[in-house]
Amino acid sequence: MTDRDRHPLEQQVTLIELVDRVLNRGVVLSGDITLSVAGVDLVYVGLRVLLASVGTLERLEQQASGNGNGKVLAAGGPRR
Amino acid sequence: MSSSAGAPAGARNGSGWYLYGVVAADAPAQLDAGISVDPAHGVELLAEGPLAALASKVSLEEFDEEHLRERLNDPAWLERNIRAHEQVLERVLASASVVPFRFCTVYRSEAELRRFLSQRGSDLAGVLRRVDGKVELGVKAFVDRERFAAGLGTRSEEARELEARAAGAEGGRAYLEGRRFDQLVAKELERFAAQVVEASHAHLLAAAEEGTLGPLRSPEVSGRSDEMLLNGAYLVRAGGGELEEAVAALARRYAEQGVSFEVTGPWPPYNFVPREVGAA
Repeated sequence: MTDRDRHPLEQQVTLIELVDRVLNRGVVLSGDITLSVAGVDLVYVGLRVLLASVGTLERLEQQASGNGNGKVLAAGGPRR
Repeated sequence: MSSSAGAPAGARNGSGWYLYGVVAADAPAQLDAGISVDPAHGVELLAEGPLAALASKVSLEEFDEEHLRERLNDPAWLERNIRAHEQVLERVLASASVVPFRFCTVYRSEAELRRFLSQRGSDLAGVLRRVDGKVELGVKAFVDRERFAAGLGTRSEEARELEARAAGAEGGRAYLEGRRFDQLVAKELERFAAQVVEASHAHLLAAAEEGTLGPLRSPEVSGRSDEMLLNGAYLVRAGGGELEEAVAALARRYAEQGVSFEVTGPWPPYNFVPREVGAA
């Protein structure tokens, strides 16, 4: 188990894919029979935690507040 | 804690059953003894009529709602168990069709889990038929903005002129001309992205049973520096290869414009099962 190690980028990518599926999709049971947490909460909590764990949440938040209109190329035009 | 004659350890009210997915009872589902969300208990197949649950016992101290919320804030716990959930299903997927359930679906007792299986058996059997012999593949398309911009000059007179003016200008004027070029790139890219998504999704659907588009992820989340254009999931025949061919054709078609494609999977058909089973 190397959960606490820093993961190579590729593994993080896979993890996000997993979150998109395991936390966001799959059959949800309704009714009183299970303990499963409400789907929406779980998605939110899960993504937030995982992003925080890869140290990107902060950057995402900065981006959301500081940059409303997407990225533009650096002035001067394209390279190559 | 001593267990006698094969009786499971753990007080009845102290453990629940974690449900990973549902398979046909007669499916040749293979289990990996070493993988589950609670290392103390391996995954079992609980057959109930024509269906069987892939489930393992869990400690309710860890998985009841109150404690679960705490656990969800622990990245190491979350990642370990998300991976365990997926690995259990993937292992089974290699030899059987499976209806995947969402992370942390937990029953208080085996009896409740069995009751769910028998009460919702016909719904679940229907879902199982829909995904029988099929798997999910993920397809993403990314665009390299700089390559797209570089190629724009060869395709558009307007872009060529702007680019030349920006290159020839100095100081503040160079900045302004550069900005105008950037704005043109942004506008063209937006138009191009819409085209790519529409054409690609249609092309991929033709090679799949079903398909769906998911939310685009930012570079920070996707782990790629390129911008995501398309995030699709497709239900395909296991081992078919048609979708991979369709992706390769798209990659050739759009390579010049800086677009690349990525295929992931095979996944359990997470995107092709109903969101809810058991609604009253």
